[in-house]
Amino acid sequence: MTTSAASRNVFQRLIDRIGLVWERIWFQDSPTTPLEISRIGIGVALVQHYIVATPYLVTFWGDDGWMPRTLLAEEHSDPWTQSILFYLTSPWQMYAFHALFLACCIAFTLGWRTSWVKWIVLAGQLSYDNRNPDMYYGVDSILACLLLILCFAPIGRALSLDRVRQVRAAKLADLGAHPRRFSSRWAFACTRLMQIQMAALFFYSAVGKIRGDQWWYGDAAWRVFSSADYYNEFVLRVLAQNFWLVNIATYAVILIELAFPFMVWQRRSRPYLLVGAAFLHLQFAFLMNLYYFSFVMIMGHMSFVFPRWLQRLGAMWKWRIGPMEMIYDGHCGFCKRSMAGFLAFDGLRQIQVRDFRTSPSDVVSDEQMKKALYLVLPDKRALPGFEAYRYVVLRVPGLWWLIPFFYIPVFSRLFGHPIYNWIAANRSRL
Amino acid sequence: MPQAIRSGLQRLTYVAMSILLVWHTFAMVIGPAPESSIIGAARSLAQPYLTFFRLQNEWEFFAPFVGPGYHFSYVIEDAAGEKHTFTPADRLNNWHPNSIWMRDRYTVIMTKPDVYGDAAGAALCLEHALLHPVSVTLLEVEHSEFWPVDLREGKRPTDAEFVKAKTLRTVSCPGR
Repeated sequence: MTTSAASRNVFQRLIDRIGLVWERIWFQDSPTTPLEISRIGIGVALVQHYIVATPYLVTFWGDDGWMPRTLLAEEHSDPWTQSILFYLTSPWQMYAFHALFLACCIAFTLGWRTSWVKWIVLAGQLSYDNRNPDMYYGVDSILACLLLILCFAPIGRALSLDRVRQVRAAKLADLGAHPRRFSSRWAFACTRLMQIQMAALFFYSAVGKIRGDQWWYGDAAWRVFSSADYYNEFVLRVLAQNFWLVNIATYAVILIELAFPFMVWQRRSRPYLLVGAAFLHLQFAFLMNLYYFSFVMIMGHMSFVFPRWLQRLGAMWKWRIGPMEMIYDGHCGFCKRSMAGFLAFDGLRQIQVRDFRTSPSDVVSDEQMKKALYLVLPDKRALPGFEAYRYVVLRVPGLWWLIPFFYIPVFSRLFGHPIYNWIAANRSRL
Repeated sequence: MPQAIRSGLQRLTYVAMSILLVWHTFAMVIGPAPESSIIGAARSLAQPYLTFFRLQNEWEFFAPFVGPGYHFSYVIEDAAGEKHTFTPADRLNNWHPNSIWMRDRYTVIMTKPDVYGDAAGAALCLEHALLHPVSVTLLEVEHSEFWPVDLREGKRPTDAEFVKAKTLRTVSCPGR
């Protein structure tokens, strides 16, 4: 082998090695579940926040409010700062925009048409931020950063109505079908981006703190609770009696914020860092009333949750509840359609199905089956109709949204049974 | 699609994704970094992206210093010459998001009274119309340090000895 060929070989090996490291950092196959949890949490926070802001819409963001556009143009005039609200002139337009934005936030939370709704949510959030920058504070910055990453990511593929629609379509063709769970290398890369965002945030926050004497000498926590904005007499009394707690609290904040960006990457230390960060933010929420900020931060930290933790949690839940078998009438089109819709929410695949026409059950007779759907439990108990659904909605996480309908004391059973019986009796006509 | 073209497209997608990841990571790290000549040069490259997506933040929560803070207060003078002092933050419910928005509002008024004073004064005259206000005097109340020994002596951070009021502006009520 010539010298040039050998050096080419070494160079090629080096490139391959860098490529492998690059792949390991950014491009592993991964489901979107951690990002979906962030999406749902951030969506809930946005919906709650902007619904509460509705009565103040014109005051906060209108021309007759705190920041007329003329004043905004004088105070903030960067051409890269854009807002849809710059172009809306009358209150009705603002209310229409707000209604659209809220609808998109709800769709974003539920994961409905997520691939384009997420961009409207980002545009709306930036529009509110830029229309009145004086009202902009920490949590808005974090939201903008996280939303942009969620826009890059292929979200809406799990824990979403988009996934429900996909599963339902497959089950309409074959009730036993289980469409493949989505996973991709790009999902992993976007999860990594969100992790880096949270780590950078903690790093800069810690570095900012250790530059100040108050943090260095350990009395910053006292100063926070005695300051004009975060005065809390109860906490102050406790701290005044035990000033050592002030030192511990101050240094613990720095320790967690400083350790987080370096130690959260290791598999073994990650759980401790996550618990530390969550504990920190719960303190902020309850002692300083920064619950919106804290909730959004915790949702950002969800990107560090290993998908296998969630899989284990799901498996544990499934094992604890035990298998459930729903027996239906395969000759009834309505039954199959409604079963497809129902089973589409069973993300953990807890429910098995059986068509009694092709595969009779040894627990429930065909005569019973002609009258109602049945749910058979591992102890061979068989629950008919409404009671079957009632049992399932409490035990399948994807169906928990139905609990209020099935568990209103007295009313649910009072109306549920006759409604179910009527549908069962008329199912051939539906 | 021929295999060669498909493979080329996949490679191109991979490169594009990698460029986006490097770029965004660069923006996330450079955005909050402290000013220096090298950071300044790097930031100027990313500035439009940082500004457009609001990615430029310092992430300095309560840092490097935690000040005792300020609160906003105002005095309404009514037609009879009587003065009524109000501290609006006292009326806020800390569990309602508007407590944060309102505090931001008060901070802005205190920071730029010349810019926001007229609008704030007009709004306060309207809010207290029942008092028949003639003018509103906007105040910035500066807190001073408060220590455990003060608390043990039964004092509170809002007691007169820990606060110092500074008049920002007096605004006449519209129609007066």
